[in-house]
Amino acid sequence: MRTRVLSILAYTGAALMLVVAACVPFKLMGIFSNGVAHAGLHIDAKFTGGTIARTIERSGYKIVVYQLVEPRLLDRSEPFVQLVFEPADSLPRRVSQEIDLDGDGQPDVRVSFNLPSDPNAPMRGDVTALNGKYVSLTHVGGESFSRMVVRTGNQIVVRVPLNKEWARR
Amino acid sequence: MAALSLSASAAEALVLGLTTGPVCLASCGPVVLPWMLVQPQGVRPHSRQLFLFLAARLAGYLVFAAAVWLLGASLPRTWTGRSWLFGAIELLLAAALVFYAAGWPLRRCTVAKPVDRADRLVQIGDAPHPRPTGALALGFLTGINLCPPFLVAGLRAAQLTHLSAALLFFVFFFAGTAIWFLPFLSLGFLQRTPAIVTVARMVAVLLACWYGFSGVSILIERTVYG
Amino acid sequence: MASRSSVLQRPAAFRSPAYRSVARSVLLTLPIALWSLLMFTRSFRHAGRNLHIGAVLVIFFMTALFFLMMRTGETYRWRRIFFVALGFLFPVGFIAALIAERGTMSIPISRMVSGDTPYCPMVTPFILLPAAFGRTIIFPGSIVSSAGHPHAIAEMIGLWFAFTLVLGKAWCSYACFFGGIEEGFAAFPKRRRLHRFVTKYGEILRLIPWAILVFVVLVSAAIFEPVYCMWLCPFKTVTEFPAVRNLETAIQFGVFVTLFVGLVVVLPLLTKKRTQCGFFCPFGAFQSLFNKINLFEIRINREKCVDCTLCQTTCPTVALSKDSIHEGKTLLNCMKCGACVDVCKKDAAVWHLKGTPVAVKPERARLLFLYGAWALATMFGGSILAGSLAAIIGFLPWR
Repeated sequence: MRTRVLSILAYTGAALMLVVAACVPFKLMGIFSNGVAHAGLHIDAKFTGGTIARTIERSGYKIVVYQLVEPRLLDRSEPFVQLVFEPADSLPRRVSQEIDLDGDGQPDVRVSFNLPSDPNAPMRGDVTALNGKYVSLTHVGGESFSRMVVRTGNQIVVRVPLNKEWARR
Repeated sequence: MAALSLSASAAEALVLGLTTGPVCLASCGPVVLPWMLVQPQGVRPHSRQLFLFLAARLAGYLVFAAAVWLLGASLPRTWTGRSWLFGAIELLLAAALVFYAAGWPLRRCTVAKPVDRADRLVQIGDAPHPRPTGALALGFLTGINLCPPFLVAGLRAAQLTHLSAALLFFVFFFAGTAIWFLPFLSLGFLQRTPAIVTVARMVAVLLACWYGFSGVSILIERTVYG
Repeated sequence: MASRSSVLQRPAAFRSPAYRSVARSVLLTLPIALWSLLMFTRSFRHAGRNLHIGAVLVIFFMTALFFLMMRTGETYRWRRIFFVALGFLFPVGFIAALIAERGTMSIPISRMVSGDTPYCPMVTPFILLPAAFGRTIIFPGSIVSSAGHPHAIAEMIGLWFAFTLVLGKAWCSYACFFGGIEEGFAAFPKRRRLHRFVTKYGEILRLIPWAILVFVVLVSAAIFEPVYCMWLCPFKTVTEFPAVRNLETAIQFGVFVTLFVGLVVVLPLLTKKRTQCGFFCPFGAFQSLFNKINLFEIRINREKCVDCTLCQTTCPTVALSKDSIHEGKTLLNCMKCGACVDVCKKDAAVWHLKGTPVAVKPERARLLFLYGAWALATMFGGSILAGSLAAIIGFLPWR
């Protein structure tokens, strides 16, 4: 009797698995995907650059300043601040801007780069720290997640690392 | 007034230890877990080993506390010096993991002849003997491993007036973090499966490789970039 | 592997004309044929001519292989043809798409920053802890698919979960688009070298993926980076890898190539085993956990078994040991490829549905399993094959 009941349950389960397999491309995968998409997850700030702090308007384009991204847990990478210049198509050929990163009213860095005419061409830029809080970068492209001047789509992404000595305070 | 100030610092240290305990667990847990799994099974041996580990870790904390207080917190601010220390500690930790947790290279790497089925997957090499030096070495090295909450506590302790206050601060900070290690006493049930012990040894070797690589990277970076 | 002569040595029931009749085989294959048609007409309705040609070829390919499974009563040999094709053709299509899009296999950091990194299901175990405790995905991709960001995280995790529900560890035999590469290399040699080494140390070798899984999960959670992708994945060599921009990324690339050559090419040639899958892949260890809840398994009928250990020798991932054979079961890392069942001369190794008596109507269990597995293989692997074939036919990107 017990064997029979177990067998019935087993075959029922197997049949259900077939139904599940048949439903995967139609509904099931979509349900699971939506579940993950609505689970309140977000990509780590080290990759995305964090949340927006404020926007600085310039003529024809804007500079989006992000919040400081600090390394998590035992990650030893540098803390950094991300800047996004957009839209890249509206930028002048040569950009050189002094930018206040921490919102204290004083410029912290000067970002300089030449915009290549070919959007797919690699680019490099310079970041000159105007105080000891940030690290200067010279002729940098995509060195690391905390040090870069790169083009992504119609944006120029600049990441300025924070001086670690300053970060410890 | 002095007693009030002291108790306030102690409370602050305890809370700091409790709140940063998970970070300590993330930092030290991967070292402790595989090592504990290859120790003899049972609550008493585990308690003894864990006690030795935590005691050595406390010793490491106190050494650091004395150092930061005496140097007036200049040690954390001297980035170059800290990096050399980071690198050296990680290399030592790697060596200690390999020696005490994995049992290489002193023991022969052989598969134990099967006495019964349970022994087949037990170990790489001979059965481990409880070595107090393992607990002490690993405890001390993780104790002076300068993880972020440790540095926060160090900077805070450096601001205290007396050396005894700094040491006491770190004792309470240690107590707060140590609470997070108590569940390691109950690892005995995992040891009943010999395969888990073998996996633990392998994880220890991999972690040793990781710490070794990390330590070498830091030292190379310091050597090249100063 | 099972040869024609070994098939003919099978007991009478398996050799009866009615059992392996063409009519019966066609009838059993019909659902798969219809499913294949449904999948490809649905997916490639608005696709170009090359993709239509690729889809038609794949429909015939998958249907023919399933027919042969039914006709011969064997699983491993025909499944392996599909799996090896998938393993070798997936990189072809993938690399062709990369070259067409950006002219290089390397992924520049700007792509990672913009969330353009396609998500591979193998990352799933390593992102679980930070996702569970910090709601953070430690992968430089996009959570939701869009025109500029296909293969997003939600979609791929949804796909992985759905497949794992049905297949369990059989993901490694029917869905993984990498395992076929080493299975192909393992099929080439006639002789097994290093056989004694694998037999003697197989019990320890089998535990290495678990150690790597624990290690990668812990370190990934500690440093908030997908350590396996950044340092240990051999298949970066045939897909995409972080652009070499400094010493660290150069070392990473060196590790990828070394692991690929060693684990995926050389060792399978020497051992005729799936060495990367069985002795390294932490995702495989993770998938093994789902074998505990999956309904299908392979069992050893102790009444028929003569302990020749041919199954143990043949198993591509050492999922059988003397102890497990004595107990009548495979080990947790069994990927249900069917090699042991096909090679067993006494038909002691059988497909089994948990909850039913062992060796009672094993063919029914095999059929129930194969319908689900082959349907999913057609949907996922088949579409990859069609795309790669289209790329080969017309040198066009497959998506």
